[in-house]
Amino acid sequence: MQLKKKRQGPRNIRHQLAAATCGLLAGSSHASSLIASGDNWKIDSALLIYAEKDRVSLAEGVLSISKEIDDDEFINARIVTDVLTGSSPNGAVPSSTAQTFTNPSGNSTYTEAANSTPLNHTFKDLRNALNVEWDTPLSRSLRGTLGGNISREYDYLSTGISASLAQDINQRHTTLTVGLSVNKDTWDPVGGVPVGFAVMPTYPAKKALDGANADKTVKEILLGVTQIINRQTLMQINYSRGQGSGYLTDPYKILSVLENDGSGNLRSTNPYIYENRPDQRTYQSLYWKGVHQFPNENVLNLSYRYFWDDWGIQSHTVDLRYRFDFDGGHYLQPHLRYYQQGSADFYRQTLTDSEETTLSYASADYRLGEFVTQTIGLKYGFAFKNGAEINFRAEMITQKGKDRRADAVGLLQNQQLFPDNEAYLLQGGLSLDSDMLIKYIMRFFK
Amino acid sequence: MGLERRTDYFVGHFEAMASHCEVLIDTRDKNLAQEITHLAAAEVSRIEQKYSRYRDDNILHRINQGTAVQVDEETARLLNYAQQLYHLSEGKFDVTSGVLRRAWHFDGSDNIPSVARIDALLPLVGWEKIQRHHSQIQLTAGMEIDFGGIGKEYAADRAALAVSALIAGQSDAHARSTSALINLGGDLAVTGPRKNGNGWQVGVDSGAPVNSGAPINNSGAPLIPTQTADFSLKQGGVATSGDANRYLEKSGVRYGHVLDPRTGWPVKGAPAAVTVVAASCTDAGMLSTMALLHGPAAEDFLRKQEVPYWCQWHKDAMNRAATSD
Repeated sequence: MQLKKKRQGPRNIRHQLAAATCGLLAGSSHASSLIASGDNWKIDSALLIYAEKDRVSLAEGVLSISKEIDDDEFINARIVTDVLTGSSPNGAVPSSTAQTFTNPSGNSTYTEAANSTPLNHTFKDLRNALNVEWDTPLSRSLRGTLGGNISREYDYLSTGISASLAQDINQRHTTLTVGLSVNKDTWDPVGGVPVGFAVMPTYPAKKALDGANADKTVKEILLGVTQIINRQTLMQINYSRGQGSGYLTDPYKILSVLENDGSGNLRSTNPYIYENRPDQRTYQSLYWKGVHQFPNENVLNLSYRYFWDDWGIQSHTVDLRYRFDFDGGHYLQPHLRYYQQGSADFYRQTLTDSEETTLSYASADYRLGEFVTQTIGLKYGFAFKNGAEINFRAEMITQKGKDRRADAVGLLQNQQLFPDNEAYLLQGGLSLDSDMLIKYIMRFFK
Repeated sequence: MGLERRTDYFVGHFEAMASHCEVLIDTRDKNLAQEITHLAAAEVSRIEQKYSRYRDDNILHRINQGTAVQVDEETARLLNYAQQLYHLSEGKFDVTSGVLRRAWHFDGSDNIPSVARIDALLPLVGWEKIQRHHSQIQLTAGMEIDFGGIGKEYAADRAALAVSALIAGQSDAHARSTSALINLGGDLAVTGPRKNGNGWQVGVDSGAPVNSGAPINNSGAPLIPTQTADFSLKQGGVATSGDANRYLEKSGVRYGHVLDPRTGWPVKGAPAAVTVVAASCTDAGMLSTMALLHGPAAEDFLRKQEVPYWCQWHKDAMNRAATSD
């Protein structure tokens, strides 16, 4: 028998070395590369598709452009366009018979089959948003940002401004942040703004209106501390408090009104009414984030958020990401997220005939109910030698809601008042700088 | 700084990086030669000031204080390069190994440090101990980064790139075909072939290349290792690593100045000097340094790289290498 000895001699590294040196000597001379880097725009773009099973689908394109306009001074502009199609629950509960609803416009009707969750099928929207931010050093240890945003949907306009200051202390190991933002939004719903608790009329009758449009204002303050714990670990704690005032109701959501007899039957006349929410909301949240880099360069990103408001909603969010870095610029990042929410005090899946007159506020919007959302996802990224990065992300989101037992009376005990939902998300992203983009374009014309 | 006219080219001189530096410029235009020499000197001096470990006003000094430092793009590229070299060399090339010089003084004496002294320094050596996050770097207290093993070659390439850009920007077509050779104490980088299509004549003497005025054969350099050679350099660079005069000797054992960062001790049986020709001066410098780190296997390593090289051995080293391991 012959024993083979593994040869451990030197290997050829010349080509790998040449590639590395190319990276080192990238560009031309330092002087000209300095000029070039100042002229470059950094471009991030992404395409995202989000689809809920049997409900809403969304396609979104994001383009973000950043430029260093002076030493350490940046401007960033972000443009988002999304197209939303599909159907969303209108708030009414399923019934053992088919149900007919009047469209928001008041000009037509739609019918939902028996024993299925009533969905508003006319959901279709195009949203364009622009966000501009200016970030500049104010002194050696103080940075300031100023931002503005505008977002337009055919029935909704949102405009806002924000400002923040970040002060480094403790030899730059600690950063204190304070931020303020104000958003002013306007609803211009199809068919006008319905009066709260007004009945959804039977076509061709018109609903009672509270005007053609309605405003809301949201002000928020954020206080944060970011602390470098050691070379591998960074932690951040934020507290924010916000106040919304004005029209905080969803003009398209309705509630089913039942007979008082506990039968679970819809009342015989005008069984659907428009929801009504308080016109004030104060919310607060505490957020903690920890980032840790392991000796093998993998990065753990863990965060927790506790949110509560004076509508009685409390929620907990735990988010975990772990990034595995591989040789050659590849990385994989699994993502787990858990979100648990308790319901608003005025959340009702149904109302009884008599409750309609005794309650001031009620909404059957599932987003104000009690539910748990779990997300599992994976992101893959690859960084090219020239600094460009391409990445793909896939996520599955499941939502499990809880029926409000007091509302599930009589016949409704056979119905699922808060159906589970499933959604999928796919995203592809590309980051590069304008210099590279120009080179790629030039190549086409050569 | 000075400028001399030769038969069909100019030679500019300046002192930088503790070396005599020269720029050979393939032109008869004195103003252009002057401008090119100034630019090369300025670029080399910029890099020297930025990365010299003898200064306390540069980015390297800030990094070596052990606090988290946000680095500029050029420094980030050098750090990335150092990291790639560390991996490519399987830990043999390590820019953090400079702290070992606190114990080793290769002054020809028999002053060998104690094992305990070296062991005490080893915790401060090791690229993997460096924390980097995006453009931020932080060293463990006591650790130091030293770009001495890269700096001169890098400066030669950078100066050549800067000169190339200047030449490319000339309005006169004849001026745009000007070639220049940067020589930083024996580390060479050229911007391209001369106007006559030939390369610059380079002589390798005892492992150290010098510019040679002697007529040479332009067909290319011999690939077999020899003690001396003349060849023509049309593009890329040449670098030499090793210094036969830096060693310690005790009880008949010679300790060359090339340290293995993994043990803290000199690499046994390394050549006295290695000269390599490669696509850039930096490439040439890294290959010659890595060859030294391969000790007696230096030439095995160089042959694998398929580059022209010259290896100078100590008179007694070949015998010792043959018996070691």
